[in-house]
Amino acid sequence: MPAQPLISVQLLCKHFRAFKRREGLWGGIQNLFVREYQTVRAVDDISFDIEPGEMVGYIGPNGAGKSTTIKMLTGILVPSTGRIISNGFVPWRQRTDYVKTIGVVFGQRTQLWWDIAVIESFKLLRRIYGVSQRDFDDRMELFHQVLGISDYLNTPVRKLSLGERMRCDLAAALLHNPPILFLDEPTIGLDVVAKDHIRKFLRAINERYRTTVLLTTHDLDDIEELCRRIVIIDHGKLLYDGPLPELKQKLLRTKQIKFALRDSEAAGTLQRALSSEGLDAEAVDEVTYRVRFDRTRVSTSELIRKILAAGDIRDLLIEDEPIEEIIKRIYGGESVMEVSTRT
Amino acid sequence: MSLRNIMVVYRKELTDSLRDRRTLISMVVVPIVIFPLMSIGMGTFVAKMMIKAKDEVPKVMILNGRNSPRVVADLKALSGIEFVPSADDYKQEISEKKIRAAVDIPSDFDAAVEQGNAATVNIYDYNGDLKSGFAADKIEKFLKDLQRETVQKRLEARKLPATLVDPFQVKTENVAPQEKVTGAAIGGFLPYFIIVLCLMGATYPAIDLTAGEKERGTIETILCSPVPRTDIVLGKFLMVLTAALCTAVLAIISMGTSFHVAKQMLADTPGAKDVLNFTIGMKTIGAVFLMVLPVAVLFASALIAIALMAKSYKEAQSYIAPLTILVVLPAVAGLMPGVEFNARMALVPILNTSLVCKEIVAGTYHWNYIAIIFASTCVYASAALYVAVSLFKREDVLFRT
Repeated sequence: MPAQPLISVQLLCKHFRAFKRREGLWGGIQNLFVREYQTVRAVDDISFDIEPGEMVGYIGPNGAGKSTTIKMLTGILVPSTGRIISNGFVPWRQRTDYVKTIGVVFGQRTQLWWDIAVIESFKLLRRIYGVSQRDFDDRMELFHQVLGISDYLNTPVRKLSLGERMRCDLAAALLHNPPILFLDEPTIGLDVVAKDHIRKFLRAINERYRTTVLLTTHDLDDIEELCRRIVIIDHGKLLYDGPLPELKQKLLRTKQIKFALRDSEAAGTLQRALSSEGLDAEAVDEVTYRVRFDRTRVSTSELIRKILAAGDIRDLLIEDEPIEEIIKRIYGGESVMEVSTRT
Repeated sequence: MSLRNIMVVYRKELTDSLRDRRTLISMVVVPIVIFPLMSIGMGTFVAKMMIKAKDEVPKVMILNGRNSPRVVADLKALSGIEFVPSADDYKQEISEKKIRAAVDIPSDFDAAVEQGNAATVNIYDYNGDLKSGFAADKIEKFLKDLQRETVQKRLEARKLPATLVDPFQVKTENVAPQEKVTGAAIGGFLPYFIIVLCLMGATYPAIDLTAGEKERGTIETILCSPVPRTDIVLGKFLMVLTAALCTAVLAIISMGTSFHVAKQMLADTPGAKDVLNFTIGMKTIGAVFLMVLPVAVLFASALIAIALMAKSYKEAQSYIAPLTILVVLPAVAGLMPGVEFNARMALVPILNTSLVCKEIVAGTYHWNYIAIIFASTCVYASAALYVAVSLFKREDVLFRT
């Protein structure tokens, strides 16, 4: 008997009534007198469960409804219809008790005081969340170890780099040791090193405290490095919910082989051998070539054999289609419902 | 609702605001600076104007005056007036302020007076022009004296008593206390400034804590905290109220101090004495502050409610601009000399406070009106606060698209 899911979302909908603007001058005048409204379905019949300790990536293009979902999960917005039970609470109804058990980070905005030292914000949050001094000191010690924030605790937030600020924001969200963490684009705008730091930290707290994490992102590296499971939405509708490898397995259509010749003389022979298969070698530079192929039609081992037979190969690299390409196809309308495991 | 939460939010907003230059300017600098500027500047200016008007020797034209050498000679003997030769375009010259007044002595005026025939002397002046008024007044005084002298001579010639033409004397005596006299002069002006400054002091923080927060996107992070929305908005409200009251208190202190200083500085300047001749007691200050208190609550709540509707700082400013006019108008009405109390007026917010403060400064305490005004303003303020709190709980207001 599986345990009760930590977060259960059922047939969640959020509709906004938006004012429909007419175009042009005449339209502008009409707008003043007769207003037309349209219902925007920001989130439309979404259902998913999240188990304790899971790290789930919540992805979708801009305006897909990711942030609206997060806002409903954190109790800021009230769903139009549908049900959310998170950590035993109905977020919007029992908001103040519920938010004591969650941490939230909005990547593009900070909950820290802009003009004053970081530590002041932490002290304020300690009072708001009613964290005891002892627990507070313990947490600060942990954050120092894994995030290394103690160096700039006395610096005003506005003087921090984006990466430093994000670390402080994460620390602020986790000050009361919540079992659930919601992250809305936590790595947006960060450099490679800062991103890596944040990801390591998230993995660490997930392993150490079994903190359940739901994160939205546009950076698929975040997903690949952190989440075993992804949920994809677009236009408010759920497109996919399942493990990332499975999505790749089912939707991965093309692969590419990149190879380097010892000298450029063999290039002609190679091109001929490949074109007999209906393939085309694309030159990266004089000696490096790239071949894209449909893995359902062409056997990878057969193709490698052909390439090796055609010339003197110095180096060879087989790559899957990048996950970005797959996601792009999904956003573009390619159906993934047949591979969806949970809906 | 918990006081602890409200105070946590309040402390946060206060700490934040004290670091914000714009808030400090509207809350502290403006009220402190405006009164010394006004009192010393205005006092000096008005005094100088009056002295200048009095000191200038006005040019006056005598028209006609044929066969009346005596009256013309007496006129010309008047000190402080320079007489110029007559010209036909005297009206235009008065309008253009080349001369200040003209006096038309009819022909054979001396003889007419001697023989007891009727005669009319016309004085031409420019109404509203201070210097023209001075000149005309001098001429008129001279003619009135001449009139009295003539009457006296005639009575004496006929051996009649002076009471024949002046059967009794009329005298007026001022019984109003000194406070009341000065109160009438500046009574309207004091509450007006306090009310307007109160609004100004509250405006910036009210926008910053609502629309500003939306614009910066930090509203979501606040709404994620385990503080109920009512407590958040009440904490914010207290901050805005603090700003309003701080502005009012500083304004009152600054006003008291600067008028005191101005009085001493300009003690030797004649004329300035009349402008600045008043004192405001502690009791008056306390009473005015008490009356302004519910107005400040009303402002803070109304401003928060309005600014909350806006998506951005700019939008909030354009919503609040008309409110400023709504506030200034009744406050100005309180400044007008003729506006007096009645029960209906006591219910008009802001105007009522403005009027009652005017009376308080003038030393009169209408207790029944004071009670009605205080109570009614408290009712308006509570209603506004209720609206602000309700709006803060509405999703479509907080996340207007």
